[in-house]
Amino acid sequence: MIGIGNEFRGDDAAGPAVARGIRSGETLVRAGASVELLERWSGWDEVIVIDAMRSGAPPGTVSRFDAACERLPRGRFVSSHAMGFSDVVELARRLGRLPSRLIVYGIEAEELTLGAGLSPAVCTAVEQLTAAIDQESLHA
Amino acid sequence: MGDEREIAVDYLARVEGEGAMYLRLEGDEVLDLRFKIFEPPRFFEAFLRGRRFSEAPDITARICGICPVAYQTSACNAMEHAAAVTLPDQLRALRRMLFCGEWIESHGLHVFFLHAPDFLGYESAIAMAADMPERIETGLRLKKLGNTVMTVLGGREIHPINVRVGGFYRVPTKTELEALVPELEWALEAAVDTVHWVAGFPFPEFERDYEFVALRHPERYAIEEGRIVSNRGLDIPVTDWSHVFEESHVAWSNALHATVKKRGSYHVGPMARYSLNSQQLSPGAQRAAIDAGLGDTCTNPFRSIVVRAVEIAFACEEILSLIDDYDRPAEPSIEVVPNGQIGHGASEAPRGLLYHRYEIDHGGMIADVDIVPPTSQNQLSIEEDLVTFVPPHAHLADDDLQWQLEQAIRNYDPCISCATHFLDLTVDRLGIGP
Repeated sequence: MIGIGNEFRGDDAAGPAVARGIRSGETLVRAGASVELLERWSGWDEVIVIDAMRSGAPPGTVSRFDAACERLPRGRFVSSHAMGFSDVVELARRLGRLPSRLIVYGIEAEELTLGAGLSPAVCTAVEQLTAAIDQESLHA
Repeated sequence: MGDEREIAVDYLARVEGEGAMYLRLEGDEVLDLRFKIFEPPRFFEAFLRGRRFSEAPDITARICGICPVAYQTSACNAMEHAAAVTLPDQLRALRRMLFCGEWIESHGLHVFFLHAPDFLGYESAIAMAADMPERIETGLRLKKLGNTVMTVLGGREIHPINVRVGGFYRVPTKTELEALVPELEWALEAAVDTVHWVAGFPFPEFERDYEFVALRHPERYAIEEGRIVSNRGLDIPVTDWSHVFEESHVAWSNALHATVKKRGSYHVGPMARYSLNSQQLSPGAQRAAIDAGLGDTCTNPFRSIVVRAVEIAFACEEILSLIDDYDRPAEPSIEVVPNGQIGHGASEAPRGLLYHRYEIDHGGMIADVDIVPPTSQNQLSIEEDLVTFVPPHAHLADDDLQWQLEQAIRNYDPCISCATHFLDLTVDRLGIGP
């Protein structure tokens, strides 16, 4: 389980918050997406990634993507650096380095201000998604 | 006015941080051109004030995730200079090794992921990966090696935690370093192969007569210390930085522009280092450079990708040689007391000269700071490149011209996040056009 986002930048902390709350599996927190993820998930069959996203949906909306089977919508997973998460996934796909199962949860962000903390809608979404992932892995 | 046109790139791709470019031209005459840095200022110099001198390496490392070792080194150098102490050889060698790891990581990223796609006509490294996965894999593996070197010496791959003023918290055993040797040997070969590969790219014909500025050391290709020299006769100790250079603010950039006083722009980075110090490169790197057709100097900024590849080969060879000579020091650090002094420090970040100056009060607290990163120093040179490049290429369609101009900016591997740390945001907008 990989939570991606800057924990000090408002709702960007959603991914890390979910990853830190999950009780099963191995979890990892990364401040941003980078090609280093290719190394981190090599050897793993199933990887779940949680990241903040912006698609215009109401804040707190959770979207689920099966990245091994479909392309992620480009540019929705915000990164201030050269490569966003969807870029990393596409790079991995072309190099044949995607895990066989890669589930991506995007949580719609409202506020990305430094020091702002999670907004109420995203906070609720984080709690619900954490519980749902725990539940799912319990029954897997 | 009929053929007046504008090219505006609101958000430059494949650079570190947030920048833009604006060009207005009439026929082949440039009316206005700006390399804009709009990433907000970060005020590092302000919040360093009142912190202990020993915190400077860890705080300034946070200016950049790509070149934290350069920040740590320049900060340590400044404190050690203030305290009038010199690191023993083996500690200095470790500092140099760590720095080489950063060069491999940073240059690897730029050569393969940010710059190569420009020359091969790909929109990104991802598009490139479909046709040449083995090149991208080489880039990934080089980057990973750079990260491994940083982890072994620095404790982690980004923002090392093992660096302190006066040395390190822990020094590695020879066995730990020797474990890196097989991968370094692979990397040296891969880097030499990369030099040949990138040397065959189609380069626009473009030369400029730069004032190249870099550190120089009497015994080795300068990275972690040296005097500041240039191809126009400069040869000064780091302490004289502010006598020779000055920084000024322009309204369209949140990074200060640096110039040589009464002379103007100058150029720092791989091309400057190579042009000033290529005789001191390691044998394999020198051979690769010669085979690739690089002369004693390189004045075509588009060819900087070749020089970066040469420097990757050099960094690998240098680490191998330093490991060979390594003798684990008994103490991981020496005592440094810079209280009541002023210290200057510089090092060669992957993108060029990085200068720090600290004033330390009698209690060991930082009273004043000045940090001059390479991208600030290159800003004027970048703009002049663009102004020079445009007239002979003005016949190109907007899209093609824009593509080449963006590439001309990426020649510098600009790190915009680094450049915007400065202290005073005094914006005078009088007399500034659109």
